[in-house]
Amino acid sequence: MSSTVVDRTRAPRRAVGGDTVVGAPQGPRRRRGIGAVLVEASMVVPALVVFVALLVVPVGYAVYYSFTDYNGFPNRTPEVVGLDNYVRLFQSTDVTGALVVTGAVAVAGSLLVNALALGLALLLWRTTRFTAIARVVMFYPHVLSLVAVGFLWSAILGPQGAVNSLLGSLGASPLPFLSDETWALATLIGVIAWAQFGVQLLIYLAGLQAVPAELLEAARVDGAGRWHTFRHVTWPGLAPSVTVALVTSMISLLKTYDVVVSLTGGGPAGSTKTFAYQILAVDFPKRQVGLASAEAVVLIIIAAVLSFAVLALRRRHDEAAA
Amino acid sequence: MSTDVQGPSRRRRPSGEQRSPGWYVSVVAICALMLVPMYLLVVNAFKDQQDIVSRPFALDPGSMTLEHLAAAWSNPDFDIAFGYAVTTALVLCVNIVSIGVCLPAAYVIARSSRRIFRVALLFFIAGMFVPTQVVLVPVIFVLRALGLMATFPGLVLFMASTTIPFTVFVFTGFIRMLPPTLDEAAAIDGAGRYGTLGRVIMPLMAPIIATVFILNSLSVWNDFASPQLILGPGSGLYTVTTGIYASVGEYSANYTRVFPTLLLAVLPILVVFVLTQRWVMSGLTAGSIKG
Repeated sequence: MSSTVVDRTRAPRRAVGGDTVVGAPQGPRRRRGIGAVLVEASMVVPALVVFVALLVVPVGYAVYYSFTDYNGFPNRTPEVVGLDNYVRLFQSTDVTGALVVTGAVAVAGSLLVNALALGLALLLWRTTRFTAIARVVMFYPHVLSLVAVGFLWSAILGPQGAVNSLLGSLGASPLPFLSDETWALATLIGVIAWAQFGVQLLIYLAGLQAVPAELLEAARVDGAGRWHTFRHVTWPGLAPSVTVALVTSMISLLKTYDVVVSLTGGGPAGSTKTFAYQILAVDFPKRQVGLASAEAVVLIIIAAVLSFAVLALRRRHDEAAA
Repeated sequence: MSTDVQGPSRRRRPSGEQRSPGWYVSVVAICALMLVPMYLLVVNAFKDQQDIVSRPFALDPGSMTLEHLAAAWSNPDFDIAFGYAVTTALVLCVNIVSIGVCLPAAYVIARSSRRIFRVALLFFIAGMFVPTQVVLVPVIFVLRALGLMATFPGLVLFMASTTIPFTVFVFTGFIRMLPPTLDEAAAIDGAGRYGTLGRVIMPLMAPIIATVFILNSLSVWNDFASPQLILGPGSGLYTVTTGIYASVGEYSANYTRVFPTLLLAVLPILVVFVLTQRWVMSGLTAGSIKG
């Protein structure tokens, strides 16, 4: 409708003074030259300045500091020490331990988040008032900050918490949710999944709407069972959603910090200490700016490699499916 | 037979077995599981420590007390109303800065044929892969150099910068779908770039602006690391998340402090979410598909 309006306004003008628009169908202001360039620049520069000053420059600083020994005091100049921080980083069992924990959280966490989200999306596929309420219930933990979620679950799963109290009254022995090293890591991943799968659920629900109903109908008519329908119709149609959901969950889990602070404090014995926790709560407070920066650089590289790898893998898969 | 006639007209998915009693039971059971922590949070906010430890699941109006809720409300470490005011101001300011700078930038990037703007877009997109909490340490040095460390504007600028990549990306994608003839018509009517953006393009972008607003608001609202490190204790400012940490962190075994504080801190945002859930969830869906 809008195009007819546009055409009507354009036609008479052209007849009168055609030369103002001639020859530049996709950029009518091209010929204003310098002025147009300045206007365009003025529109991009504010975003660019904020982005560069507070995100790009800090990344640059992180790279620079990662090659220096620096305690962060303004009156001290960073002393260049080459690759020392990286060597220390990979030799310190403390830091490599945090790397392993982060890997476990990112991989196990995103698999769990996506399995939960996909399963629940298939369950809540149809839009009725009942499923709309159920979706809100599934999603609500996402609006609670992870700090609050962590404290809440630590009060529920602690040695004196609600679950162990319930187990005690049933005559069972208490479970070491937060006090045993392996249990604590599993608890951390479980709590993250509980709090975070909502976004992925929405992604899968949106993806399911795009699965052609005729294909599902055809599969049903052909007598395909539920598993076959899922495997050969629904799953291929969901491929783009799987990519998006995997990438978003993995990147957000690589940064896991808040929930560690509130749920476990990195313990017991460092068993839930993630990389972001190591940077922000261990090395930076110890004024090890060089080491903390090297860790930041490593995490940035891991995040970039991981996202591109997942995107590339999925693209190949999507093309095969298409 | 009659179902076949109804089927296509109702535009429902096939496989009626989804509505079996088993389906209802499992959905209700999962919902109940999701709500157990919320239930515990609510009932235990009204109990004494002994009662919480011995009977955490019990709902007994007779032994309920408002004492601990009152104590949490008047806790000098964490004035919940103040935390909410600061966080709300933060959410609004970050959105204003972020959307304010990203709208014109995305408009030029989407509409200009110059190569440099295509490069600029890639540059912005690369920012989406930076795990932002991790660069906080150097951000502190940059803010210190700018004299903005431990200030509200410093926090706003940093959080806005973390939202810029995604915002520019989504806005650019949206503007590219709008017909360029709109711009040409506005230009012929004598509107400049800013006039075209403000009067023609922006009104059409209302849905995507709403989506970005929701996504930014959720991430700003729930962020803990940025306010914790940038505001610090010296500024006298705290958000809901850093306030929770300050008041609960060292007392996490004192359940009469944990439950009432958490309840007061999460209740308002939960109410806002329930009231706006349709809006929030459709906005998030739109955003996550585009992202």
